[in-house]
Amino acid sequence: MKALFQTLVVVLILVVGLFFVNHRLNVSEGFSGSDTLTIYNWGDYLDPDLLAKFKEETGLTVVYETFDSNEAMLVKIEQGGTNYDIAVPSEYMINKMIEEDLLLPLDHNKLPNLKHIDPRFMDLVFDPGNQYSIPYFWGTVGIVYNSELLDENIVLEHWDDLWNPKLENEIFLVDSAREVLGFSLNSLHHSLNTTDKEKLIAAKEKLDLLTPNIKAIIGDEMKLLMVNNEAGIGVTWSGDAAEMMWDNEALDYVLPPEGSNIFFDNMVIPKTAKNVEAAHQFIDFMLRPENAAQNAEYIGYSTPNLSALELMDPEIVNDERFYPPDAVVERLEVYENLGKRNLAYYNELFLEFKMHRK
Amino acid sequence: MRKLGLLSKAYLVIVFFILYAPIFYLIYYSFNSGGNMSGFESFTLDYYRDLTENTRLIIIVINTLIIALLSAVISTILGVFGALAIVEVKRNRMKSTLLALNNVLIVSPDVIIGASFLILFTIVGIQLGFTSVLLSHVAFCIPIVVIMVLPKLQEMSPSLVDAARDLGATKRDVLMKVIIPYISPGIFAGFFMALTYSLDDFAVTFFVTGNGFSTLAVEIYSMARMGISLEINALTTIIFIITVIVVLAVYIFTRDKRKKGGTVRS
Repeated sequence: MKALFQTLVVVLILVVGLFFVNHRLNVSEGFSGSDTLTIYNWGDYLDPDLLAKFKEETGLTVVYETFDSNEAMLVKIEQGGTNYDIAVPSEYMINKMIEEDLLLPLDHNKLPNLKHIDPRFMDLVFDPGNQYSIPYFWGTVGIVYNSELLDENIVLEHWDDLWNPKLENEIFLVDSAREVLGFSLNSLHHSLNTTDKEKLIAAKEKLDLLTPNIKAIIGDEMKLLMVNNEAGIGVTWSGDAAEMMWDNEALDYVLPPEGSNIFFDNMVIPKTAKNVEAAHQFIDFMLRPENAAQNAEYIGYSTPNLSALELMDPEIVNDERFYPPDAVVERLEVYENLGKRNLAYYNELFLEFKMHRK
Repeated sequence: MRKLGLLSKAYLVIVFFILYAPIFYLIYYSFNSGGNMSGFESFTLDYYRDLTENTRLIIIVINTLIIALLSAVISTILGVFGALAIVEVKRNRMKSTLLALNNVLIVSPDVIIGASFLILFTIVGIQLGFTSVLLSHVAFCIPIVVIMVLPKLQEMSPSLVDAARDLGATKRDVLMKVIIPYISPGIFAGFFMALTYSLDDFAVTFFVTGNGFSTLAVEIYSMARMGISLEINALTTIIFIITVIVVLAVYIFTRDKRKKGGTVRS
């Protein structure tokens, strides 16, 4: 009995002590002040120096949290127990969030730097008039390959080149239903927003034929594995490819001409925001050309900010792999919100493909 | 004990090697100045220094400890009461139903528990963060404590209680002076089990964290997704060393106790 009691007291003292230390640390870091801005973003998707700069400029403290998929983010915001002031979802998710009434309309008067954004990327189908969202980055889905690991005769230019029998066990695919079915649809010259079951089944059957060439279907780990020369080819997003190419010079990226996906990650203010004023301040801060340029050079995705392009290293900006010319952009498609039923069908086909035996 | 043959020894060594090799691999590379796990360049303590400067991570470690200690204490108290109640139930059918209900919670996958807590907290309107994590940890630790305490209660001879009653002990005396001292090894075991379960829980916590609150398991997961930082290795090394120290301490502590207990009894 005595031992029990002693343990209880020791544990409680420990807890109180830990609480105290924690509180001190929180205060010294400024996490628990009242003037905070909470940002909910993808992992590794913002230059930390910019956060420091924003803190210094505004005196606000910034809490930065990350998510790893649009769906995970949606759940946390829908749930309502959170108080994120800024989130950065992709376009199809923005559409969904608008439909579900989860976003606050933006006050464009508070965003003077909005004028820098390329008009090509404004007023798109998923958010007409940019009432709810401001472009943050955009990118494409393409093929990253390692020229040193592959046979010299192998040419990678079209989606169909992935089906080359010489590429046995060489390909990483990104673990995402729409990307994978999308490139298969594109290789068949169909739209990657198709809801036609026959076309989808044809795309899935074509993917089944790709299985001997596939090494793995993976997520963010692909970056590390490609850099470490684990496989010759990866199908992934342009920004991830850019990051890999910085770390491994043998890597290169192609955007197949048959078409591909173009995606946008936009900044939004969720309904749960506590500090709407600061959220606008932050969006405008990120729209400032010098900040957008710095962020783009750090992250590797393509910035929609025209004035920022002028400030950036011309070598990056003129790189047609990441800033493709208009003619190519026209062939790229934005994912449309196909509705629950069709998305479920995409997922089902993708799962079937993943379970397909070699 | 029979002496181990050469084959058995070799088998044992291989098994332990397989179990520990990944951990030592991680530890080895936590000292690598190369910045990745593909080739060892030279020895450095940079990642340990980075760790000490990473206040956010320290806060998260402390959060994890607070949650583990508090949930272990609360669930131990509740679990002991639960075990007492189950033992008191006279009807066999009822008793086995209660036990089965308790065991279902242990067996059911963390993902399901986590998801259902998320739904519950949403309906009730509890903010995700410290409270939600604490509540869910307490909840999944209680059945474990019950399971650890129950055998001790069942093996206790009822004549002990009867004797105490005959000698004029009140109900409270019986509980505090007879039953609880008798089952205290079970209570300690339950406490430590709850502590470890809470410390390393990932799935449930993953569902119910939010608002800047995070525990170590969840944080390591999101760090690992981003890739290559060897800070994770450094952190793993420190946790591993602490675990080894704690296990050794518990071992020495219990060994001394057992010796003492042995002499008293004989």
